[in-house]
Amino acid sequence: MIKAVLVMNTQGKPRLSKFYEFQPVEKQQEAIRNVFSVLCSRPEHVSNFVDAESFFGPDSRLVYKHFATLYFVFIFDSSENELAILDLIQVMTLIGVIGYQLVSVLSVLEAVNFWLKTVFVETLDKCFRNVCELDIVFNYSKMHTILDEIILGGQVLETSSTEVMKAIDEISKCALFPIWFLTCRLEASSNAINLVPKSVSGWRSR
Amino acid sequence: MAMSGMRGLSVFISDIRNCQNKEQERLRVDKELGNIRTRFKNEKALTPYEKKKYVWKMLYIYMLGYDVDFGHMEAVSLISAPKYPEKQVGYIVTSSLLNENHDFLRLAINTVRNDIIGRNETFQCLALTMVGNIGGREFAESLAPDVQKLLISSSCRPLVRKKAALCLLRLYRKNPDVVNVDGWADRMAQLLDERDLGVLTSSMSLLVALVSNNHEAYWSCLPKCIKILERLARSQDIPQEYTYYGIPSPWLQVKTMRALQYFPTIEDPNARRSLFEVLQRILMGTDVVKNVNKNNASHAVLFEALALVMHLDAEKEMMSQCVALLGKFIAVREPNIRYLGLENMTRMLMVTDVQDIIKRHQAQIITSLKDPDISIRRRALDLLYGMCDVSNAKDIVEELLQYLSTAEFAMREELSLKAAILAEKFAPDLSWYVDVILQLIDKAGDFVSDDIWFRVVQFVTNNEDLQPYAAAKAREYLDKPAIHETMVKVSAYILGEFGHLLARRPGCSPKELFSIIHEKLPTVSTSTISILLSTYAKILMHSQPPDPELQNQIWAIFKKYESSIEVEIQQRAVEYFELSRKGAALMDILAEMPKFPERQSALIKKAEDTEVDTAEQSAIKLRAQQQSQTSNALVVTEQSHANGTPSVGQLSLVKMPSMSSHVDGNSADPRLSPENGTLTVVDSQPSSADLLGDLLGPLAIEGPPSINVHPQPSSNPGSDGTVVEATAIVPVGEQANSVQPIGNIAERFHALCVKDSGVLYEDPYIQIGIKAEWRGHQGHLVLFLGNKNTSPLVSVQALILPPMHLKMELSLVPDTIPPRAQVQCPLEVINLHPSRDVAVLDFSYKFGNDMVDVKLRLPAVLNKFLQPISVSAEEFFPQWRSLPGPPLKLQEVVRGVRPLPLLEMANLFNSYHLLVCPGLDPNPNNLVASTTFFSESTRAMLCLIRIETDPADRTQLRMTIASGDPTLTFELKEFVKEQLVSIPTTTRIPIQQTPTSPVAQPTSAPAALTDPGAMLAALL
Repeated sequence: MIKAVLVMNTQGKPRLSKFYEFQPVEKQQEAIRNVFSVLCSRPEHVSNFVDAESFFGPDSRLVYKHFATLYFVFIFDSSENELAILDLIQVMTLIGVIGYQLVSVLSVLEAVNFWLKTVFVETLDKCFRNVCELDIVFNYSKMHTILDEIILGGQVLETSSTEVMKAIDEISKCALFPIWFLTCRLEASSNAINLVPKSVSGWRSR
Repeated sequence: MAMSGMRGLSVFISDIRNCQNKEQERLRVDKELGNIRTRFKNEKALTPYEKKKYVWKMLYIYMLGYDVDFGHMEAVSLISAPKYPEKQVGYIVTSSLLNENHDFLRLAINTVRNDIIGRNETFQCLALTMVGNIGGREFAESLAPDVQKLLISSSCRPLVRKKAALCLLRLYRKNPDVVNVDGWADRMAQLLDERDLGVLTSSMSLLVALVSNNHEAYWSCLPKCIKILERLARSQDIPQEYTYYGIPSPWLQVKTMRALQYFPTIEDPNARRSLFEVLQRILMGTDVVKNVNKNNASHAVLFEALALVMHLDAEKEMMSQCVALLGKFIAVREPNIRYLGLENMTRMLMVTDVQDIIKRHQAQIITSLKDPDISIRRRALDLLYGMCDVSNAKDIVEELLQYLSTAEFAMREELSLKAAILAEKFAPDLSWYVDVILQLIDKAGDFVSDDIWFRVVQFVTNNEDLQPYAAAKAREYLDKPAIHETMVKVSAYILGEFGHLLARRPGCSPKELFSIIHEKLPTVSTSTISILLSTYAKILMHSQPPDPELQNQIWAIFKKYESSIEVEIQQRAVEYFELSRKGAALMDILAEMPKFPERQSALIKKAEDTEVDTAEQSAIKLRAQQQSQTSNALVVTEQSHANGTPSVGQLSLVKMPSMSSHVDGNSADPRLSPENGTLTVVDSQPSSADLLGDLLGPLAIEGPPSINVHPQPSSNPGSDGTVVEATAIVPVGEQANSVQPIGNIAERFHALCVKDSGVLYEDPYIQIGIKAEWRGHQGHLVLFLGNKNTSPLVSVQALILPPMHLKMELSLVPDTIPPRAQVQCPLEVINLHPSRDVAVLDFSYKFGNDMVDVKLRLPAVLNKFLQPISVSAEEFFPQWRSLPGPPLKLQEVVRGVRPLPLLEMANLFNSYHLLVCPGLDPNPNNLVASTTFFSESTRAMLCLIRIETDPADRTQLRMTIASGDPTLTFELKEFVKEQLVSIPTTTRIPIQQTPTSPVAQPTSAPAALTDPGAMLAALL
């Protein structure tokens, strides 16, 4: 069973947290802090596994993936397969990418609009560094919707990103919000940059 | 704007992001919370859009780590909104903010059910998601049939059905009965014929949960699982969207193989053959490629296949193929695969006979100890530790020692402990063992616990051949310019004892030994100074005839420390000084330490204690034990296995529910259940109650222990009723005696323990009634304070003294109660964790010149948090078996039981909410009862009780209690025992006075006494 899904940035700020076993809010924060303190000290190109028993109790495993300025962290017990969980994280981020392809003309315009506004608020540099994070921060409500289509009650619900997108598509028709579920945009430095369609990175770098 | 049009939310998030520090963020959050609170006050004026926006903000604030303790009602109420956007927010926020025990959730059950049985699929999905995330027992009871219907319905879309499968899984976890219906296993098997891979994946997760509890019922699913694997392996009918980097649904493959691992074996030869074909194909066909993601997916399948092969205990040939693969993995570049290779090799070590093949990879594993990734280094250390035996101990331990100097601090402690254990367990000769430990202390003194050096001293003392060698080694280390304090301790001790064996060697005369040891004194702490003083005394004793110069030097030191502020040092200095003046008589007193009794190593014991948590790990232990039996190096440890440790702690009566070892001893050793089965357990919490328990030792012991909680002067024994019962009311000061209570307070209390309303206390002026409602781990009590007179009661004060495990809140009690009036004071109780301690109400008032102060026990006792639950035989036995033994299942023979006919005993149990389930136990003299216990820490937890009575002797019985929480089991056992044993009879043999001293001991004392290291420490 998956015990928790955490998304946090490289400064340790939580961006999305969902606990499938109830924890009081202080415990949740403590967990986030502990996870961060371990993750931030790990070098590049090491394994995606970390010993988690000291802060999540016995029979806890932790798998994480580092994308640009974000950590995606899954905590689960021994009934799950570690590498399969790692796949799942990959699926989650793929959905973010596919989300781009479905961006309608209208929402691109809106996105650019929004983008320009933010530029005025923060320095361009800072925006750029945090760019993939912003998507999660401001699409926070939609992240929850996506997560609910992938994991239910600590169990994996769907592993096909196409199926997840279909479900989200349906929901967005009902919920009246345009689909640009940009869960995770990747920076030029990231190894998965090839997954981001050119058209989107185009307006982004403007 | 793109943000679902929720501009307010985006602005708020931007504001938070712009905060420079935590303080600013807090201010902004507080402002927002204040705003939301005001808006929610006038709920009617809010548009659905606004409500939605505020609820999202709440969730965001909650994620940032602030407690949001209001607005839950608003979130829940959104669930019943007619439009999708509001409903969706309601469901998502509710499932993040609330937990299954939340009261508001109950209010929503009907709405949720309507959504589930309704026609709108998107609503169905929302409802199923929420129930699947936070649904509790009540949801299970009222929704399970509807969810089942959705899952097996042919008209429902896969989108809904896959959610129904996982929702049912949650409900099953909350109440296993939901799938204990006839024919469910067949339906489960039918579900596995599903073509849609999404539904199949969810159904497989459901199956894994079901078979992990009870594989018997699901044999019919086994061939279907193999079929699914074949279908996937051959890529038959696999849609493109489920093919991941060319691999047909790796997730489903993994889950299916996981399900197969819960069946003990596969008997059908055809099924077995086809499964092995598939596994063989997976093992052979997986290669490490460049694409990381593809690697992850293919190896997820491969590692699961390896686990399944190990589980099925395949032919030797396939096993060695597996080890060969693992050997390849631990050498690849890809860190994840290296990590899992090491982990799986460790696992393989335990279940099969392939150690020799694994040993071939030793060099590669040692290389992994230098990997840049600490996770991999840890796995390598685990593997080396597991594969170590007499043949390779020397190599491995030396590698570990070498690694110790470069290892990071986070690993040093574990590393040195493991090295010490291996050195002890597999030492080819004892001098090597001494070398290793001394090197350990030298390299990582800070991480070497006292246990480790105590153990060396024990060995050296017990083995004469070793003594000169150890002394010479210790002397060598003292020459080093800077040594760790632990090294000073161990060297000083060994040289004090055995330094004289070196006398002929250069630099080892008593005088030289003394001066080199004494050099270290200015730098060491007080505990080491004590050891040094002993060493000086011993050196002095061994220098016969005495060297006057040395003698004066040492005497001067003793003199100096005679005025030390540390009692221990002072005492040693005074005593050694006096003793050393006795001349030859000194020889007798300071003679060499006798051999230590042979006992199990504290280290190995510690290691075993940490290893008990999983079955796999106990397999290591088993193997380790078998191996150490074949090793003749340290026979010392072996005998102790047979003898058991002489447990001083067993004599003490201190309650230690947290320490499983003691509880074990408690149930295993009949000496411990004291005379007549009366409780002699006294709470060890360092509170005033202990002191009183101490003073009142003999008195307190006779009654139920809960009485000990009362801080009481024992001023009124025998005023009415029995001695102990009378202490329940404690008058403070002389005046109190002038107002006598009406009726027996203890009897009233006991009556209220089984009833929910009644009179708690009455005297000529006041009557205190109580009415209680209990729900789960919460209680709502009302105290009725009634003035019986025509003049007012003044200075009324009510104070609750809650025990540690209860959170109690009493509303304001008025200072004055008018004539003939009754005041109602609500009292809220929350049970945090299981305990038998009792809350006390300290109540005082003044009537005329009479000041009355009574302390009353409140009937918020353990059984109030129990809810009877009837279990069927199918449910009972798996549960009973799944709780194998202490500390979760405890057994005790209780003597001195109030003789009761069985029927009456059953009634007694039922009255305490322990529901007797007739017919479960074939023996008519036995009782089986079940109940659910509620507390915040355990939440709802099933407890099972079995009482075996002896028709020939009704005063004794054997009881076994099981639950999922060790403290709960212990407390419930003691609670039941209290109810069964006769409450003081007149013909009691007085219990000896000794219990007073153990009562005052700190919790750790008995444990420490069983520990050889501690005993040695005491001897030093």
